[in-house]
Amino acid sequence: MKRELIFLFAVWKANLLSAMEYRAAFISQVAGMILNDAMYFLFWVIFFNKFEQVSGWQLPDMFLLFGIVAAGFGLGTSLFGNAMQLSDAVATGKLDYYLALPRPVLLHLLATRTNASGMGDVIYGVMSFFLAGQLTLDAFARFLLGTLFSMTIFISFLVLVQSLAFWMGHSQLLSNQATNAMITFAVYPITLFEGSARFILFTLIPAAFVGAIPAEFVRTFTWGGLAQLVGASVVMLSLAVFVFYRGLRRYESGSAIQIQL
Amino acid sequence: MKKYWAIFTTQLTNRLAYAGDLAAQSLSIVIFMWIFMQLWRATYRAMGTDEISGLTLRQTLWYLMLAETIILSKPRISRTISEAVKDGSIAYMLNKPYNFLLYHMSVGLGDYLTAMIFNLLSGSIIAWLLVGPPPDPRGWPLVLAAMLLGWLIDFCFTALIGLAAFVTEEVSAFEWIYQKMLFILGGMLIPLDFFPQWLRSIAQALPFAYTIYGPARLFVEPDLARFATLLAGQIIWLGAMGLVVTLMFRRSISWLTINGG
Repeated sequence: MKRELIFLFAVWKANLLSAMEYRAAFISQVAGMILNDAMYFLFWVIFFNKFEQVSGWQLPDMFLLFGIVAAGFGLGTSLFGNAMQLSDAVATGKLDYYLALPRPVLLHLLATRTNASGMGDVIYGVMSFFLAGQLTLDAFARFLLGTLFSMTIFISFLVLVQSLAFWMGHSQLLSNQATNAMITFAVYPITLFEGSARFILFTLIPAAFVGAIPAEFVRTFTWGGLAQLVGASVVMLSLAVFVFYRGLRRYESGSAIQIQL
Repeated sequence: MKKYWAIFTTQLTNRLAYAGDLAAQSLSIVIFMWIFMQLWRATYRAMGTDEISGLTLRQTLWYLMLAETIILSKPRISRTISEAVKDGSIAYMLNKPYNFLLYHMSVGLGDYLTAMIFNLLSGSIIAWLLVGPPPDPRGWPLVLAAMLLGWLIDFCFTALIGLAAFVTEEVSAFEWIYQKMLFILGGMLIPLDFFPQWLRSIAQALPFAYTIYGPARLFVEPDLARFATLLAGQIIWLGAMGLVVTLMFRRSISWLTINGG
């Protein structure tokens, strides 16, 4: 475990140095993403300026929800950027490189790419948390913890849907649709959805665990809320690892010679 | 113009060869429309009224359907052009017997129209099921004309962003920010009618509203006076943006250095 953590930190350090090599591009992506998120959030500012509340949600609740989702998504794509490209790696035989090395294939694969714009999401997420008005140290600690849960569930979901490529071949389209659905549902108030829709958001597309549940945990600490997040993270992560390695048994490639840069 | 027509029809044929992919991609609009329905139904219910700022729930949903169709059908022209600039393949296009910008416009229009057909179909089915029949069909030809002019304004912006790669190389940040301008000031996420008056006046004067809000608003409340005002604004913005992108293209070409290959 310690060995893998040292390895992981080494990969992240190399990723960061590599991203910083093109400093102007790196800064423009980070700053651009902060601006992008802020502009997207203007929708809710305008909405609540007109309507004040919807299904019990008000603007500070949206700041908190958006903060958690942005920080969780951003942290995930910064640290495990290849989660978005996993199905492509499977379909085009790019796993060969990772299979030949003495490191856990999934962990290595996920961590070898960083998304500079993800850091912009993280920064915006933290700013959004502060704008929500939860200005206490323990709320901030819960925000950090909630972000980690949100990231774990989001990345696990990505691994699950992208692993379909082991069975379906090129499944990028399906993966993209599932990812878009996850992000879209996560940034809307959970109270808007009732009945079977709500059930789907807790199971098939677990957007509630990426947004609303961690946001609620940040707002008010309950052991029940923490148990839900721990349970969902363990289940999703275990399922993702199981499905990936199950699929890996079916992996075939044309022994393409590749150089990892 | 004959060659550009040929490029356009070839692109139409190419895209329609993958009708299954287009149909699958159009599922996104179903998810978005369904979420919008939950949000706006709850909002109208909370306000306890049938009409907000002159729009009923049915009109709001059909408005959003058309706005989503416009956004989701847009090809990523800025990405195509910036990639051509970055990998140098632009050099192979410049010596062909066509105008670079008109070529991309013809290809882009082919992409836009094919995606639009599928998005309109999927979006209309779900909107009809959720809120009932569409607005007066006599306005549809006017809406189609407004959508095409709106797309041309959008093309000028996206081509400009793509050409920015000559200066900045990385253009993702510009792409995101432009997209959010369309989302908010263009009225894609929320009709401009729901904005505070001061912001609405600003948004309506900007070109983004002529790309999304204008056609979508005309769709739900078609009349000739509205169309004439929209058309005049679109022509002015198209002229201005067309001039800017042409000048930018000429300037960019003067910066280009080709070293054999």
